[in-house]
Amino acid sequence: MPIELAPRNKRGLPLRSPVMAGSGAVGYGDCWPPGLDPRAFGAIVTAGVTMRPRSGREPPRLAELPLGFLLATGDHNPGYRRVVAQYAELWRRLGVPVILSLLGAEPGDRAWMATRLEEDDPGIAGIELPVPEDVNLGEASAFIAAVRRATTLPLLVRLPATRAAHLAETCVVAGADALVIGTPPPVVYPAPDGTPLEGPLAGPTALPFTLRGLRAVAALHLDVPLIASGGIQKAEDALLCLRWGAVAVQIRSLVWTDPAAAMHVAESVHAAFAADSPEG
Amino acid sequence: MTGGMVQTRATLVERRVIGAVHELRLHDPRLAARLGAGQAVLVRTGWGMIPYLRRSFYPIAIAADSWVLRLPPDGDLGHAWLRLAPEGSELDCLGPVGIGFRLPDGVRRVLALGEGEAAWTLLPVVVEADAFQLAVALAAEVITPRQAIPPARLPAAVEYRLTTVEGGRGRLDAFWAELLPWADVVVAAGSLAFYRRLAEAIREHRFVITRGFAQVLYPATFLCGTGACLACVADVAGGRRRVCLRGPVFDLTDVVSDR
Ligand code: FES
Repeated sequence: MPIELAPRNKRGLPLRSPVMAGSGAVGYGDCWPPGLDPRAFGAIVTAGVTMRPRSGREPPRLAELPLGFLLATGDHNPGYRRVVAQYAELWRRLGVPVILSLLGAEPGDRAWMATRLEEDDPGIAGIELPVPEDVNLGEASAFIAAVRRATTLPLLVRLPATRAAHLAETCVVAGADALVIGTPPPVVYPAPDGTPLEGPLAGPTALPFTLRGLRAVAALHLDVPLIASGGIQKAEDALLCLRWGAVAVQIRSLVWTDPAAAMHVAESVHAAFAADSPEG
Repeated sequence: MTGGMVQTRATLVERRVIGAVHELRLHDPRLAARLGAGQAVLVRTGWGMIPYLRRSFYPIAIAADSWVLRLPPDGDLGHAWLRLAPEGSELDCLGPVGIGFRLPDGVRRVLALGEGEAAWTLLPVVVEADAFQLAVALAAEVITPRQAIPPARLPAAVEYRLTTVEGGRGRLDAFWAELLPWADVVVAAGSLAFYRRLAEAIREHRFVITRGFAQVLYPATFLCGTGACLACVADVAGGRRRVCLRGPVFDLTDVVSDR
């Protein structure tokens, strides 16, 4: 039985497996490491896209941390028009639901892109909206509601892990079909050449933040699906998230650093899910 | 789906220790068959997930069923683990990454130019060019004698110039006038500052940097090697581009702007 990520949305967003490729794990669906293909995942979330092209942060962008890393790309992306023109055809034939991650530089950018998606119909199954770390409840509500008005596509709202419980209900009221928990907290660390980098934690060190946010939001019983994201490295991590209230998980760092292990997580969790489902 | 890239379990079959430097031969037929000079291999090192990121290596030798990585002395935790790994250890390798050196059809004289440790990454292309019976000259500029490639490691026909830098000033400059007009193609490995010096020298001794004349190995840091993470992005080829897809070997004109 598929997992439904948007039960309140008329379009729905069914997944055949609870393991998703997190935002940018496989680029825009065009960057697959060896041994992994779209069949491994229930859905893929693309790298973030902004209304206009962004050249991102100048190098260096990567710093290694104990048990993880910090990646500061500065939302580098070719912009909405080019991404849709370049990848729509691929998304239609990929054979897995594609969720487009929309980033906003200005208020209104995300609603503009959501409106365009309705017109362009590039073959995506949903939208992921990351909520910036520093927004207040009113700002979060306003931009999610604006996107909600602009599109009927399922909306997955990605919350900052450390503020997930604070923001969750507001985001659901504003129109989120599902909540992704979440973006790990930002940290500062020097790149190898000493340049200070700032960005969210990534890698296994992020998992405790995900678990804390997940438990706190699950305790609110908001009646929307929860998706765990951040720090999942093993099948046991993913299964723990599913036991603690998530219906699906996203993996990203693991896809980049160990594709074989990512495949193992996808297969193991899918097998456990199939065995547990009524038809399993 | 990244063309040609594989994730393999390589077996450490031989360790050569030369002073503080270790060279590890990895039995890895699947990867060796795909690997070319100037392409990187991302190697998982360490205890469990420490360190978490793979270490990037450019092979210093490539055979039909194996390849060799070189570990200079440094304080890196992943490299320390590799220094201790016993023969028979299995290493998780991901590669090859990107586009390596290419010897264009019709060239007869190949000039390899290296700076410091990076000069070692030129060895496979030097060996390849020699095997094609091209005339090959290798000129390397090193900080310490330990970085120098011993002449015995080179094919007998390769002409070798070695300089040791003192006080941070390059000494290859003494050879530019002789070597640059001689070469049909240049392959180079070093820092961006080294490539800027090379570009200046080409302008001086050949008047213009022709596209296709010089290939350089871009010093980038890799995370995924597949184009997904954008960690390796650099300002090259007229834009901000992923080195793991467009490089790591670029035309010199893509790395330093011509005047
Ligand atoms: S190393 Fe990830 S994009 Fe190049």
